[in-house]
Amino acid sequence: MSPSDFAIADTCFLIDWSYWSCRDVLFKLFRAIFVSETVLREVKSERAVEWIATALASGQLALYTEAPDVMGLATRIVERSRLVPGLRGVDLENRGAIMAVDLLEELSGVVVWRALEVIRGAIKRGFIAGDPEQVFKLYEEETKHRFPRAELEAVISELRGEAREVAQAGGGGEGD
Amino acid sequence: MSLEEKLEKWRRLEEEAKEIRRREADWKFIESLPPKLRVALKYYVEAGDLYVASRIAGLTIEEFNELRKRAGIPNVS
Repeated sequence: MSPSDFAIADTCFLIDWSYWSCRDVLFKLFRAIFVSETVLREVKSERAVEWIATALASGQLALYTEAPDVMGLATRIVERSRLVPGLRGVDLENRGAIMAVDLLEELSGVVVWRALEVIRGAIKRGFIAGDPEQVFKLYEEETKHRFPRAELEAVISELRGEAREVAQAGGGGEGD
Repeated sequence: MSLEEKLEKWRRLEEEAKEIRRREADWKFIESLPPKLRVALKYYVEAGDLYVASRIAGLTIEEFNELRKRAGIPNVS
């Protein structure tokens, strides 16, 4: 199983993401994305509900019911995160989850993506075309989201660098 | 990078995010709201936590997210 086969989407990500005009690119990155029942309870607007229901019907999204053993594991991770001074609780907004993966060795194998990394992945794999800066700008405008500037600039620089390498390799090939 | 250095990196990012939320919030709009919504938005500006803020407001996360947009507060992450 490759890491991009499955993903689990949290509420805040899915709600923001559902307002983006390129939202369906998510389904090109992952074979199936699980959404928990608690996520569904938080979604109200026709736009978001319709998008999620359509994706559930097509199998691109899958409903995930939290089993007692999973809830037990989640509770233990939350308790662990709350014991580390300076670490945001993993039960709080997504920065808590990102910090926990960065700081707790036992979670170092977990991959947490924000919208920043999802869009980066989609551009890298050619699912979204165009200038990376404009793509991220569109997401920010449509969702009233804001990426941390330093991280955004690093990602844009990386993506533009790769695009230049591809263009140069293509140019060299034409001359051969 | 040591644990202390990582924590310092995250602390700086938290401060940057909080400053953006404070700066861009429409405070006139926020102050015009009923107490629960006003307090919830102020909590969101400080903590950046949509879930807890929505519980304070008595709204679903999506409903609170719409209120956040109307108040001009960016979701920084």
